[in-house]
Amino acid sequence: MDGNAELTMSDSTVCCSGDWTAPHIHAIEKRLPGLNWPRTDIVFDLREVVRMDTPGAWLLCRTIAELRNVGKAVRVQGASEQATQLLEIVQARIGEIPEPPKPYVPGFLENIGIHAATQLRQYRDLLNFIGNLAVVVGQTALRPWRIRGVLVVRELELAGLNALPIVGLLSFLVGVVIAYQGGVVLRDYGATLYIADIVGLATIRELAPLITAIIVAGRTGSAYTAQIGTMVVTEEVDALRSIGIPPLEMLVLPKLIALVIALPLLTVFADFMGLLGGLVMANTMLGLNPATYIGRLAEALTISSYLSGIGKAPVFATIIATVGCFRGFQVFGSAESVGRQTTISVVESIFLVLIVDAVFSVAFSHLGI
Amino acid sequence: MWNEERVHNSATELSDKKYVVEAHDLVVQYGDKCVLDGISLRIRRGEVLAIVGGSGSGKSTLMRQLALLATPTEGSVRLFGDDVAAMNEKQLNLLRQRMGVMFQHGALFGDQTVLENVSLPLREHTRLSQLLIEQIAMLKIAMSGLKPDAAALFPNQLSGGMRKRAAVARSIALDPEVLFLDEPSTGLDPISADAIDELVLELRAVLGLTVVLVTHDMSSLWRVADRILFLANTKIAAEGTIAELVGSDNELARDFFHSRRARSAGAADD
Repeated sequence: MDGNAELTMSDSTVCCSGDWTAPHIHAIEKRLPGLNWPRTDIVFDLREVVRMDTPGAWLLCRTIAELRNVGKAVRVQGASEQATQLLEIVQARIGEIPEPPKPYVPGFLENIGIHAATQLRQYRDLLNFIGNLAVVVGQTALRPWRIRGVLVVRELELAGLNALPIVGLLSFLVGVVIAYQGGVVLRDYGATLYIADIVGLATIRELAPLITAIIVAGRTGSAYTAQIGTMVVTEEVDALRSIGIPPLEMLVLPKLIALVIALPLLTVFADFMGLLGGLVMANTMLGLNPATYIGRLAEALTISSYLSGIGKAPVFATIIATVGCFRGFQVFGSAESVGRQTTISVVESIFLVLIVDAVFSVAFSHLGI
Repeated sequence: MWNEERVHNSATELSDKKYVVEAHDLVVQYGDKCVLDGISLRIRRGEVLAIVGGSGSGKSTLMRQLALLATPTEGSVRLFGDDVAAMNEKQLNLLRQRMGVMFQHGALFGDQTVLENVSLPLREHTRLSQLLIEQIAMLKIAMSGLKPDAAALFPNQLSGGMRKRAAVARSIALDPEVLFLDEPSTGLDPISADAIDELVLELRAVLGLTVVLVTHDMSSLWRVADRILFLANTKIAAEGTIAELVGSDNELARDFFHSRRARSAGAADD
């Protein structure tokens, strides 16, 4: 490659030399504003220019235009045929190209307003979506043969069966951890037998439903958003509509039904694995006989605490499926929006699951369950 | 060309530099399916070469091999006289700065405005000031025929024709020596398609570009292509100027160039 672009001044002649191309003009660009131009008329001599491209031509034309603006007469000589052509092209456009648009940055107050308005619109959209979904659910309940069984089974496999390993492993570990933490304290009091109460109640009432819901929100809710969002971007949702298939019936209802079935079942599995984790820990660390542990569990756990845990699962499932699908339909425009909505979907559904769980806890304690 | 003189000075350089893009016996296979079988071609500096063929004839695949976006199963590609198979990633990236690619669907970055899209190559590969970069980007946007207001828009706010123009603007951001255009006028209204043709010719004239054009737009072939490669059944079935191909005795080429659409495009241009 040839050298960087250069400018040398003698009297009224400015001699340009070197490579006037994009990779070679940064040095000259920095020097230009500080140059002492000749007081007289100026001649730019381009004979020494090795090559020139549009950025180089632009820089030269811009400089010439600035000099002319301060009242100097400027002439160019010695340009090669190609450089002349380039300079003409740039010269013809330099006047009509406006300054690059500056992105509009809203002020603090305006930002708050924009966010509030966006939130409000999204709540309205969500309500709208829930309403439409309720209508579809109601219509389908009256005509159950319209449920797409194959799709439901497929979703059951994806959301339920395929989630068994991860849900099982994590619940088992949570059982182990609780047994360990509780066991350390109980051993000091000589009350190791009650480890079954702690593990049993904590797992079955709270932890198993919650852990399962959080895993499913991260695993399945995100997949719902990404799938529907991609279909929105590629106009597949519009295609469904134009064929005469309501997107909610085809895309959302099977997912909702499948998840309402799958999540309670997964929770039962998580219950079992959590208790098993506690058993393993109680046996190895506290030396508790498995039969004793199971016998104590049978006394500590009532059917109502079991049901109060399982009963939350369908509610969580509805939240996850609704939020996941709703966020999918909120995708607008590009693939980038799919990623953003998927993130929001996971955060929102976990947030809502935790809130609703807290509401359940308060309600159950008032009802004395 | 500004360095034409030097090229002519030495006979050895002449044979090296005369052809900007060369391919020798390219074979591309996906699994058992052979997409390209023994393609050889040479593209001269300043030439507009069109690659045509029916849908699925491997036009875009051939372009991807030439534009360093894929590696052929067999055969070699030479760019500016050098075999690309012998190059490391750094050399390839230097080579990529000398070529521009316009993708079929624009491939504009969705989270950036048109201005940012066009500025990106300049920001990445030069050390110019932000202001100069944006001015040059605005120039390229204007050269590609977009209105200045479009610079502030995001790709999903653009119409199909505007998106193609923005994609062209980005591909010429670094003043490439070779420009690859994948179906630049497909899906455009006739006026926009004509404008893209004129744009290609203007860029060739001003920047001395070598253009590789993948298309099946017959009017474009009549207007801009110096030479045409007609792909059929994984091979180059015919080659020549549009007039030669229309008069070709190759059966496949004759069917293609004598289709009703091809004839009406030719008639309009005569």
